[in-house]
Amino acid sequence: MPDIPQTECREAIALRAAGKAFALDDGGSVVALDGIDISIREGEFVAILGPSGCGKSTVLRLVAGLETATSGTVHIEGRAPAELAAHHRLGVAFQDHALLPWLSVSDNVALPFRVARKPVARDTIARLIALVGLSGFENARPSQLSGGMRQRASIARALALDPDVLLLDEPFGALDAVTRRHMNIELQRIWSARTLTTVLVTHSVEEALFLADRIIVMTGRPGRVLRDVAVPFARPRTPEALRTAQFHAMVDDLTRALEPQG
Amino acid sequence: MNRLVPFLSRYWAVLLLVVVWHAWVTLGDLNSIVLPAPLPVLADVVTHPALYLTNAAQTMATALAGVAIGVLLGAFVAILAWASRLLAGLLTPLGLIFSSVPIVALIPILARVLGYDISTVVAIVAVSAFFPTFVFTGAGLRDLPRATDDLFKVLGATPWGRLRHLVLPATVPNVMISLRLTVPEGVLAAILAEFLMGRSGLGFMFREAASRFAMERALGTSLVVTLAAVLFFTLAHRAERAVKARWS
Amino acid sequence: MAGLTSLPTRLRRLKRSCAQRAPALIGIGLFCLAWQLIGSYRLAGLTWPPLSVVIGYLVDPDHHRLLTRAASTTLRAVALGYLIGAGIGLFLALAVRLFRPARAGIDTFVALIHVTPAIALAPVFMILMHRDAIPVAICALAVTYLIYVAATSGLDGAKRHHIDLFAVMGARPWQRFWLLERPTALPAIASGLKLAIPVAFMGTIVGEWFGAARGLGLLMVSGMQNFQIPMLWAAVLLTTLTSLVLYALMGLVERAVERRFA
Ligand SMILES: Nc1ncnc2c1ncn2[C@@H]1O[C@H](COP(=O)(O)OP(=O)(O)OP(=O)(O)O)[C@@H](O)[C@H]1O
Ligand SMILES: [Mg+2]
Repeated sequence: MPDIPQTECREAIALRAAGKAFALDDGGSVVALDGIDISIREGEFVAILGPSGCGKSTVLRLVAGLETATSGTVHIEGRAPAELAAHHRLGVAFQDHALLPWLSVSDNVALPFRVARKPVARDTIARLIALVGLSGFENARPSQLSGGMRQRASIARALALDPDVLLLDEPFGALDAVTRRHMNIELQRIWSARTLTTVLVTHSVEEALFLADRIIVMTGRPGRVLRDVAVPFARPRTPEALRTAQFHAMVDDLTRALEPQG
Repeated sequence: MNRLVPFLSRYWAVLLLVVVWHAWVTLGDLNSIVLPAPLPVLADVVTHPALYLTNAAQTMATALAGVAIGVLLGAFVAILAWASRLLAGLLTPLGLIFSSVPIVALIPILARVLGYDISTVVAIVAVSAFFPTFVFTGAGLRDLPRATDDLFKVLGATPWGRLRHLVLPATVPNVMISLRLTVPEGVLAAILAEFLMGRSGLGFMFREAASRFAMERALGTSLVVTLAAVLFFTLAHRAERAVKARWS
Repeated sequence: MAGLTSLPTRLRRLKRSCAQRAPALIGIGLFCLAWQLIGSYRLAGLTWPPLSVVIGYLVDPDHHRLLTRAASTTLRAVALGYLIGAGIGLFLALAVRLFRPARAGIDTFVALIHVTPAIALAPVFMILMHRDAIPVAICALAVTYLIYVAATSGLDGAKRHHIDLFAVMGARPWQRFWLLERPTALPAIASGLKLAIPVAFMGTIVGEWFGAARGLGLLMVSGMQNFQIPMLWAAVLLTTLTSLVLYALMGLVERAVERRFA
């Protein structure tokens, strides 16, 4: 864990009693989130785990400013998330890669520069493309890539402007176990080079334990925070850390927490 | 008041057109041979109900008969093409060609070949509806969900069984869409045919009025033609939605 | 990477495409044969000439002056009406995109124009303009509808996840328009431009029937009224073929745009 005392750290992301209800076409509404309290420190890496449909993506969309809470508040650095977006300081990779089909890989990665009207840093883009292992595919179009390659390209795009807050919604969902492991190691390396506040939604307990400082476990209908677990492993974490008894104990514990309450 | 706002937001452009028309005629002080104002046009329609109604009824009947024949034939040939690879291969390109050319150009030919007759108008409308229906319905049949076709094969359905329980039901919504798509062109074809060779109907009325510069009559006919076309289109659209609601 | 397909692959493709086209060519061949036979055996009376007679009329140098004069008049009207109609359609689509409250009213208006049989508008045009301009006006009006519908639905076609992405990147409205909605709309606009070709011919011919001084539409009507059967059929064939060729060309453009932007 970072050895900075917690009190000195500024709060980056704060959800206070945040709730979200979606209006349905038939006039009713579904409560997707109810009374969510999450506080994320600057530079912290938080993973969100939970069964499908429990509202993980909705939490992320609230933090990204794509939805507004129907109750409670959501703040990034004390301000509305949309303000951060307007200053081009959010990086996001969606569950769905959301690459523009008419742009090449490098143009897709360069898109945040164009939107922020900053000169396109070609070397940064080349470095990011190499980082996600897509060198040689700079000029390929998304339709010529595999599902996993597209997701990697969208991660490179999320990192393009060196954002303050990185939001990742199951970015490795379409990857095989080996590539996924590799991407986890890469992501940890990026993260150790420059600690940036990160929220990662994932279905993989191992991935959450390997990458995160803290894990938030959610339950569904309505979405609530079930547990908030600190990850005790020292950094940098090596693949060997995944084989310790403590690691396995935590995997078992969290997996049990994810199982539906009977 | 709270009904007025949605109404205005939908129809402001149409209302604006009428207002501009009226203002232009009154402010420009045009005489009625050049351009009559909206009200006299309306008055001509209202004071000659029998004339307008009989001609409108005739045009609408021929258009309806033609569209119905064309759509049904188109769907029938599409099913034939579904049943036979050979037929599909031979007919589909012709259908594509004919549905992508200006079909109204065929009106003078059909008029000459079939004779100046009201049944020719029906035939012209039918031809204009036939090709789009054939192409559209045929594409729908080729696009049947793979799994259902496989299901029928696994169930050991006979070709006749597949036709009855799979193809015919799948055709119905496509036929309704074709109907909606072909109605405007069908009405246009009917009026054009009457305009070129008819002795009655709105198209003929129209040519007659325009040739003697009776602008109130000509514009009145335009108005009735437009109303008839909108009515047809709305009915076809409603029917399509009703069928779609029951079919899915 | 692509483009270097091996010779056997190419030969195989060629064979396959021939096999696919064979029934189409046979179908068209049978159609022409039927036309010829019906004509030579007078199966449909004297007003159905054999195909060879119609082609003979078209290639006969004696008729070239008449035909080129009519065809060039009609083509000029088609081109002008097509360009004006496409321009107005695109302009209206952009205008209602910029000012959304106007959308519903323009939608109704344009739909009304579409449903209204083109000829019903002729008296208005007769008042407003010189009769030689009527074909252009009716053509433009018919094209406007198609392009407006294609462009508005194309501009509406941006995917939800792409819109979200632009929101998170802090894109301004015009950036979203230029970088996302414009490229998304291009394939739809291209296919609208293709479908507008026969519609443009239709509008022009209808306009000519209403009283132009020359043009292919006029040849048709006078051929019909004066029993100049080969001329009637030749004018129709020429119109149809021209429209078909332009349609095919626009189909190529559509395919190129599709490949580039989708
Ligand atoms: N736009 C919406 N309209 C209505 N309901 C919605 C909407 N978005 C999400 N929901 C509802 O909110 C709940 C949470 O959805 P969410 O997408 O956040 O789940 P999730 O935890 O990300 O699931 P998964 O792991 O499958 O991605 C679901 O019950 C869903 O039906
Ligand atoms: Mg999700």
